[in-house]
Amino acid sequence: MLADPRRPFDGEADGRLLDRQFTARDLPQLRVLVEECAAWAGLSDARRGDFVLAVDEIATNAIEHAGGRGHLTLRRVGDELECKIADSGPGFSEDVIPDLLPGLDGAPSGRGLWLTRLVSDRLAISAGAIGAVVTLAMRLR
Amino acid sequence: MPVHRMRPGDHAFVSYEDGDSRAQIMAAFVWLGVARGEKVTVFADPALSEQEVRDAVQARGPSVAPALNRGQLEFSSMRALLSPDHEFTVGRQHARLTEETEHALRQGYTGFRAFIDMAWVRDLGADIAVMIRRETHSAHLFTGRPYSEICAYDRRWFAGDVLDHMAKSHPYQLLDRLGVLNIVESDDTLLVIGEADISGRARFTDGVRAALTRTERAALLTIDLSRLHFLSLGCATDLLALTLAATTRPQIAVACDPYVARTLRRLGSDSISKLALIEVSRQC
Repeated sequence: MLADPRRPFDGEADGRLLDRQFTARDLPQLRVLVEECAAWAGLSDARRGDFVLAVDEIATNAIEHAGGRGHLTLRRVGDELECKIADSGPGFSEDVIPDLLPGLDGAPSGRGLWLTRLVSDRLAISAGAIGAVVTLAMRLR
Repeated sequence: MPVHRMRPGDHAFVSYEDGDSRAQIMAAFVWLGVARGEKVTVFADPALSEQEVRDAVQARGPSVAPALNRGQLEFSSMRALLSPDHEFTVGRQHARLTEETEHALRQGYTGFRAFIDMAWVRDLGADIAVMIRRETHSAHLFTGRPYSEICAYDRRWFAGDVLDHMAKSHPYQLLDRLGVLNIVESDDTLLVIGEADISGRARFTDGVRAALTRTERAALLTIDLSRLHFLSLGCATDLLALTLAATTRPQIAVACDPYVARTLRRLGSDSISKLALIEVSRQC
């Protein structure tokens, strides 16, 4: 028998599983990689789907509103899978995330971030060296 | 279907037009299999060195070294699989793939998956008719067994009629790149296949809008998302907003897998009375 047949990635000493720059054309590949790492880290199927969806939303925001590119770092931190996405936009804060799901009949802004916060166990937005850094995390157990 | 949906027991066709499209599908197939605990072998184009194939996979994922070192991932060739035989026969190949599957299971893997670049046909000087026979008489390799296989055909080498025949002969046809969005319109149905993300959002939204307009006088429009692998939150929001705005429509049905249905519900689909979600299991 194998010692651990479900151990595709050794990761770095700091728990880093993935460290990538991205633009719009890289997103499909990025989603595959995030899904693989999340599977290895032990996220269940349903939560893995949510995690990939949330990462895609934050990455899409970076592309659409914050410089057209971003930098993703995925790490296992304790009992969490944590994704940080840094952009080079003007910066923003958690104030842009609505408390309630916005209606569909007006401008649908904020719905993606609202759902991202709903499915995440932790979501934080901070100032980066240039733009903003969005951190989202999900518990593995 | 998208390569992400390959599961044990699946036999799929893909054709590629260049090395990049081949590498995209190959790398995704490899890494998803490794992550699922399957043993993975790439039977690569003999014209490529092992290092070139390895680089192509590694450029689209993490280091391959851990998986290679423990034997979970192998780069091989059809010539090596058939060895010591020098000639391709359907029986020999079937026997060897069956052995490899059983060996992987004995080693503790959850299954065995193979990416087969059909360039081996040229390398071994095999008869196209024999290759076709192999492709159309392989069901026993997959039925009830945790073996999955992608047969990758170079569109620059195989004749168009052969490619058409092979595409129809496989249970599944894969989209030839990651991130592809295909929209197929028919009378009262809009079929959406692949991945709907930022790159395809405008096409997705235009497709839904056009379908709503085209079927304005029909009793029902079905938007079939059951073969969609990824629906971004932006596209999901557009779908719901367009549906809500289609005031003259009596009924709109969205067929989708349970995960997409849950996402649409979270985004408020239940508040749209004319919209019905139909949950379906995997449809590709």
